[in-house]
Amino acid sequence: MDELQQKKQMLIQTYKRFTRRELSPIDMQIDQDGMYPVGLFNKVVATGLLSTTLPREYGGAGFDFNATSDALRIMATGNASMAVTLEGHFKTIEQFIKYGNKQLNDKHLPSASQRIFAFSMTEPSGGSNPLGISTIAKKVGDDWVISGDKIMITNGGLAQVYCILCKTDDDQMAVFVVDKDMPGFSFGKKEDFIGLRGTPVGEVVLNKVRVPGYHLLGKVGQGLEIGDNAHADARVLMGAVLAGITEHALNVAVDYSKERKAMDTLLFQMQVTQEKIADIAIKRQNIVNLYRSAANNKVANKPYRELAAMAKSYGSRAAVISGDEALQILGGYGYSREYPVEHLIRDARAMELAEGTIEKMNIEITNAEIAK
Amino acid sequence: MKIIVCVKQVPENDSVKIDPKTNDMVRTGAQGVMNPFDRNAIETALELKEKNGGQVILLIMGPDSFTEVLRDGLAMGADSAYLLSSKEFGGADTLATAYTLVAGIKKIGKPDVILFGRQSEDADTGQVGPIVAEDLNIPQATFATKVETISATTLEVDRDLESSIQKVEIKLPAEITVRSEINFPRYETPINIVKSFDKPLTIWNEKDLNVDPDKIGKKGSQTIVTKVYAPKKETKQVKFLSKKAGDAAKTIINELDL
Repeated sequence: MDELQQKKQMLIQTYKRFTRRELSPIDMQIDQDGMYPVGLFNKVVATGLLSTTLPREYGGAGFDFNATSDALRIMATGNASMAVTLEGHFKTIEQFIKYGNKQLNDKHLPSASQRIFAFSMTEPSGGSNPLGISTIAKKVGDDWVISGDKIMITNGGLAQVYCILCKTDDDQMAVFVVDKDMPGFSFGKKEDFIGLRGTPVGEVVLNKVRVPGYHLLGKVGQGLEIGDNAHADARVLMGAVLAGITEHALNVAVDYSKERKAMDTLLFQMQVTQEKIADIAIKRQNIVNLYRSAANNKVANKPYRELAAMAKSYGSRAAVISGDEALQILGGYGYSREYPVEHLIRDARAMELAEGTIEKMNIEITNAEIAK
Repeated sequence: MKIIVCVKQVPENDSVKIDPKTNDMVRTGAQGVMNPFDRNAIETALELKEKNGGQVILLIMGPDSFTEVLRDGLAMGADSAYLLSSKEFGGADTLATAYTLVAGIKKIGKPDVILFGRQSEDADTGQVGPIVAEDLNIPQATFATKVETISATTLEVDRDLESSIQKVEIKLPAEITVRSEINFPRYETPINIVKSFDKPLTIWNEKDLNVDPDKIGKKGSQTIVTKVYAPKKETKQVKFLSKKAGDAAKTIINELDL
C-alpha cells in the first residue's frame, strides 16, 4: 500500500472508530431529540475531524475528496446527521481554497479546525434560483455593508463563519464572508425538519453587517460560479452520505433477515426477501461508484459536476427506496420508531431537496448530455 | 521517562477464519489492525509521557506490512517506531517472539518502562509480556487497570485480578501489561495521521539484532500448534418459572422427569 493509500485507510479507521463509539450508539437518540447531545460536537472538534480537508498550511490534514468522501460514507452508516454537518463544513472550506484571497484565508482558515464554516444561498423567495435573491451588499469606501435574510442554512446556528451570496448595488452576484460575532448579525428561526434531525438548519439575519473589502470571496460577478461550485462539491459528499444511509438500511435488513423466521424459514432464505436485499445492495454499490467517480475526477482536476449531480440525483432516490424496502423486510418493526429504518428514509429524503432538488439535478444532467 | 510499547497486528474483529484442512488462521481478505489491547498500552505510555516527559517508542515483530500498525501508533502520538522484520523470525511462538523483542529492546537501549496489552486478540496467550520481563530480569505487573507515577524510579500499579484489586509498587525498569479497562485510547486525528509519516520508523533484521539463529522463528519455538478450530456453537433454551412457588416446583419436577 502506498503512503497516500495508507493515510486514507488510517483516516477511514479513525472515522470508523469515532462512529462506532460516539455516534452509532446515539443515532436514534439524535433523531428523536432533534439535536446533538451536549458535548458531542466538542468531541468532533477534539478528534480533529473539522480539519480533515483543511490544507496543511492552515493547520489541517489536507485530505482530498477521494479519502474524505469515503470517510463520510463510513460516518453516515452510523449517523447521517453528523456526516451532513461535516459535508456542509468541507464544501465551504473548498470555496475558500479555490476562491479565497490570501488575507481572507490567512485570517479565517486557521480557525476552521475548531469552528464550522457554512455556505448560504437560499432565501425565503427561493432556493435553487439564486438570481431571485434580495440580500444586498453595498460598497461603502473599502468596505461592504450587507443586509438581508438567509434561510435553511445547513449548520445555521452551529456555524460561526458564513459565506453569504449577495447581490451588489450594481446588480452583480458576489459572495461575502461574515463572522457571527460581527455587529448586525443575528440568528433567526431554526427549522423543524422531519429528517437529518441532528443537523441544525437555520436562518441568519443580516442587518447592515459591515465587512472589510477582503471578505469578498473571489470577485464581484463571480457569485453564481462560486455557488455552483459549492453545490457540486456538496453533491459529491452527499452522494457519499447517501451511500452510507443505504448501507445502514442494508445492515439492519440483513441482520433482521438472518434472525427472523416466517413459517419456519429465515427471511433471508425466502426469495421475496432476497430480491429486496439484492436490490438495496446494488443501489448501495451504484451510489458508491457514482460519488467515487465524481470525487476522483475532482481530485484529478477533471470535470465532475455532472457526475456529482448524478450521485445526488440517483443516490437520494435510491436511498429512499432502499429504506422503504428495508422497512418492508422488517414489517411492523420497520414502521416502528424502535428501529432505525424509518428515520433513514426521512434522512435520505432531505437530500432529494438539499443542494438542488432531484429535478434541478436532472436538468443539469440533461443539459450536460445535450451539450456533448 | 523512556517507554517502549510492544504491539502486534491482528485481523480486524472476527474477520479471521480457520482453514479446515491446514488448521491455520486464514488472514487473507481480513484487514490487519493494531491489537486493540495494545492501543490501551500506547495510551498508558502517552499519559506517562505527558506527566513525566520522555519518549514513547513502538516495537513490533512481523512482515514489512506491519509498518501500517506502527504508523497507527505514531498517529496516536508515539515518537518513533521499530519493526523487527525477517523471514527468519517467521513461525515464532511466544518464547521466540519474546527473545526477538528482547534483542530489539536491548538494541534500542535501556527503557524505564516496557508496556504490553494484556494479550493479543487473535492468539489470546498473554505470555509475551511476562516472558520479556523474565528474559530481561526486571519486575513485572500484569492485568494493570491503573498506572500512577510515585517517583522517578517507582510506579504504582493496580492489578485487576477479577475478584480483587492488588495495588503494587514496582521499581523501574519494569514491564507492565494493561487491561482494556485502564483507559480509553485516543483517536488518531486526521492531522496526526498525516504527521505520523514524518516520524522515524526503523526496520531491523536478524543481522542487525545479532541474535542466536537457533532461538528465533520456528527453530527457536518450543510450542507447536497442532490444531486450531472454531468451536461448535450451541444454543440453549432458557425457561422462566412462574412466580408462584408451587407452579415453579411443578415445572421443575416435570423438566427433571421425576
